[in-house]
Amino acid sequence: MEKSSMNDGDFWSLLKGNGYRFAPASLSAGDGQGNALGPVTQGTTILSLKYQSGVLVAGDRRATAGTTVMHDRTDKVIDIDRHSVLAIAGVPATAFEIARVMEHTFKYYRRSQLQELSLEGKMRALSKLLKENIPMAMQGIGAVAPIYAAYDLQRKEGKIFFYDMLGAGFEGVEYSVSGSGSPAIRGVLHYQNRWGGETLAEMSEEKAIILTMRLLETAAEFDSATGGVNRESRLYPSIKLVTEAGVRDIPSEMLESLYTRQVTMNR
Amino acid sequence: MFEEPYRWVEAIQNRRDYLEEQLSGGSPVVALPYKEGILFATVGKGSAKLFEIYDLIALGGIGHPADLEKLRNVVLDISHVEGFNRSPGDVTIRRLMKFGLAPMVKQAFEEVLHAPYIVKILMAEINTITGKRLFFRLNYDGMFDEGDQGMILAGTAEMTRRMEAYFQTIKKKPVPTFEKTLQVALRTWTVSIVPPQANEKETGSLPDNDELDRLLKKHLKDHQIELALLDQAQAGSAKYRIPSQEEIKTGLKGWL
Repeated sequence: MEKSSMNDGDFWSLLKGNGYRFAPASLSAGDGQGNALGPVTQGTTILSLKYQSGVLVAGDRRATAGTTVMHDRTDKVIDIDRHSVLAIAGVPATAFEIARVMEHTFKYYRRSQLQELSLEGKMRALSKLLKENIPMAMQGIGAVAPIYAAYDLQRKEGKIFFYDMLGAGFEGVEYSVSGSGSPAIRGVLHYQNRWGGETLAEMSEEKAIILTMRLLETAAEFDSATGGVNRESRLYPSIKLVTEAGVRDIPSEMLESLYTRQVTMNR
Repeated sequence: MFEEPYRWVEAIQNRRDYLEEQLSGGSPVVALPYKEGILFATVGKGSAKLFEIYDLIALGGIGHPADLEKLRNVVLDISHVEGFNRSPGDVTIRRLMKFGLAPMVKQAFEEVLHAPYIVKILMAEINTITGKRLFFRLNYDGMFDEGDQGMILAGTAEMTRRMEAYFQTIKKKPVPTFEKTLQVALRTWTVSIVPPQANEKETGSLPDNDELDRLLKKHLKDHQIELALLDQAQAGSAKYRIPSQEEIKTGLKGWL
């Protein structure tokens, strides 16, 4: 059968048709720990939780390679479109590329097909990219385990999906965590949601932000690859809210004020 | 058949006549700068004529819908591959027009044994760094021109002249707000449905605004206003949006 010349909005095919390669199929021998190239940049804490008005997504700012702090101002929560963000845990080179492909893929689809790609379609796009990356992940130099959070305009609710490095996607019903610092806060989230007085979904925006900053501070306490707050440099975590109105950044002034009053308790 | 130069010139002229006739009934598109960005406006009752191309680029067109779709997809492909491989700031309408659309349309126009594109296109952008507005207009034969004060795309040269003549009388006045710009755009569009007057060329006379508003109101009984904005106030990198019915209502309040 002759291939249809219809534009189906597939940016991935368009890119590949123009010679783009996402990842090499294989590299020279490594030990699965990235030691063929030396330590690779990775290690982080990202989290997402559903609160009263939608979804909160946050990440620390540190990028590490082995025991070296490579950068302390990394933005690990990336806008993908008007109603979704990607929080990245793993190797930034791959994660940033995945975010770039996703952003262009969704925009291209909307502009060419004159309608938004469905949320299921967006989830699938991320799975496909992670699957394309399996050879790199298996060689220890490209593993990414992201969280994708979106506001579903049709169902009028926030959604959280977390992925393993092979591309399997799971829905986080109330919250989701990822990265090297995540074990330190996962239990806290469960405790807070079950016995904390009010569930995460009942929390106001301010309470959700305060909890998030406390959680990231906890993660930084136990995980050297997670960056804490640096008040001298006015360096705070990246926190974004995804609601029906769209994606909104929480400005550092607000984080600073809440941190001083509610995290350090003016100490 | 076309080996003699005269035959070829004749074929081109025939093709020009054919395209002029095909495009003559197209509803014009008006694109004007305003305080927050660029407003695209047209009136019609068929398929959409205004489209998002890239983060700060929009397109309006008249002509055959299938040809418009084909060219729209070409420019979408070029801009997204370019924006991905380089950066969104490298996607400009000057490059899209000069090295993408115009050569393609010209080639199709001059290949007399193949069908030309029955289409005219208007593109506008907001510069990512300076915020400067730029407009490009592409004719069916590949000719294009550019401007920074807004642009009118009409089916015929005569229609364009009439609309521009009206626009010249008002464009020096400040038109900063969305509401005011919408009014200017729609009145300029309405000139396209004013029956030509015998002495118009000599006197330059066009109906006054009250008469234009009356005509537009009547026309809107069985046609719809189609608007699109490149709105710098919009959050996120993509600035294209379609104004809500409420915004349009507010924009028309008090004069239509």
